[in-house]
Amino acid sequence: MNTSLNTREKRFIAVAAAIALVFGFTPVASAMHIMEGYLPVGFSVAWGVICIPFLIAGYMSIKKTLKENPKTITLLAMAGAYVFVLSSLKIPSVTGSCSHMTGTGLGAILFGPTAVSILGVIVLLFQAILLAHGGLTTLGANTFSMAIAGPFVTFGIFILCKKIKINKHVGVFLAAAIGDLFTYCVTAFQLAMAYPSESGGVAASMVKFLAVFAPTQIPLAIIEGILTVVIIIGLETYAQPELNDLGYLAGGVK
Amino acid sequence: MENSLGKSSSFIRSGEKAEHEAIHHQKIHHHRIGHKHGEGSAIDFYAYASKIRCWNPTFKVVFSFLTLLLCIGLNNPFVSMAVIIGMAFLTVVKGGLPLSAYLSVLMIPLTFILMGTIAIGVDFSSQPAGQFNLFLGFGYVFTSVGKLQEMAFLMLKVFGAISAMIMMTLSTPSAEIIGVLRKAHVPKLIIELMNLIYRYIFILLDVFNNMRNSADSRQGYGDFKTSCYTFGSVASNMLVVSMKKANAYYTAMEARGYEGELVFLEDEKKHQVSHLIIAVAFMLFLMLLGIMTH
Repeated sequence: MNTSLNTREKRFIAVAAAIALVFGFTPVASAMHIMEGYLPVGFSVAWGVICIPFLIAGYMSIKKTLKENPKTITLLAMAGAYVFVLSSLKIPSVTGSCSHMTGTGLGAILFGPTAVSILGVIVLLFQAILLAHGGLTTLGANTFSMAIAGPFVTFGIFILCKKIKINKHVGVFLAAAIGDLFTYCVTAFQLAMAYPSESGGVAASMVKFLAVFAPTQIPLAIIEGILTVVIIIGLETYAQPELNDLGYLAGGVK
Repeated sequence: MENSLGKSSSFIRSGEKAEHEAIHHQKIHHHRIGHKHGEGSAIDFYAYASKIRCWNPTFKVVFSFLTLLLCIGLNNPFVSMAVIIGMAFLTVVKGGLPLSAYLSVLMIPLTFILMGTIAIGVDFSSQPAGQFNLFLGFGYVFTSVGKLQEMAFLMLKVFGAISAMIMMTLSTPSAEIIGVLRKAHVPKLIIELMNLIYRYIFILLDVFNNMRNSADSRQGYGDFKTSCYTFGSVASNMLVVSMKKANAYYTAMEARGYEGELVFLEDEKKHQVSHLIIAVAFMLFLMLLGIMTH
């Protein structure tokens, strides 16, 4: 079919296709939830099993905090509700389209990654129940990408930036944005594992998934980074006592 | 693309629509219709309004989950069709949900499904392959009839699975779903957190609404830069308010005799034998259909 086209026509089609690929998908995706029914049973179970050690660690850490200070139960629940509400809000965007924050990055910086893993499962479950985002069988995979991998990377980068004494706000931006990108890569990997490409296997399939979701996820990660910094600046200005309150929840992140 | 998320956002909408009609009316001219955020959840509202809410919640959760598993496990387009039809019947005819509302809930994940299936159905290669291909300068994008068929079947399966899940969420209020999880021996701490988080979500949405409205009436969402600043300020203020509220709620709980255990009143809803028989028959039918058309 292509042999009949001359070089100029071919180039024109290539450019048109590239434009269509970039602008055809306006950034609308919320955090990349894998939808219900998308993963075969084996993968759903496997990702669920991978999450279990992290969830047990989170459960133990929450239980310990509660034993020391029972008052944290309402604080923890509010933190969970906060992450849910934050992830359901429409964030400002240049194109006027509709996108949402993950919220778990900020959660990890404020409350610590272990607490966020448990809160994350609950929030993801409510997102499936109340918003029809994500699903029950994909809960394991989504938990791993959004409530475990993303927050741990965010937290790690946040601590690292603190250690090497980069400006704190730059650190927060990097932590939130890279955590978001990491979530997106993990999700693409999960999809690629379940649907490997015939010609190139998992790696080729992963490139495809990364490419398809890149136009929505990369701007989203940058905006999420900026917003997280604005939120942190706001908190530092108005909420020093509350941040100190959260300190013991997060295990010393003030 | 934008459409599907626009619709999804409309699901974060007030339950007590009638009572807030006047307030809504004021907002509509600013936010496009169906573009309201942070006013409660429509799915939650539908769940309370459903006519099959009186069915036993354990039955609904288990039935929906097993159907979901069958739909994914059998991986068969006929089974998916049967699940889509069966679940639509339950939700729309038995549950009395308007068809338009049902369809718009079903369409929420459309963006993801379209993008995901395109990535699966289309492949890159340096030489022409498959039945349909397009030269892109650096290589060929190609697909084949088999791939397109696989895409269509995958979409059917995903819609089947989603309709099985939303059959449950559109007929069972969250509090009852949490009750079922409690009966399934999910740790008490998790159940308690879920109960509290569910309640706090609506409180925070209310807080957010007030802040958003006051910022909005002061031109807080004028341009992109201001919106970013406003969004950040609202979000950080929301955290401050939520922390203050958390402390107040703990005091309130303690004043009412909280000693480390939250107990909620749950309605006793009896199992109906006829439902059980029909559910088992439906699942046997799905399995037979799956084997026969394998």
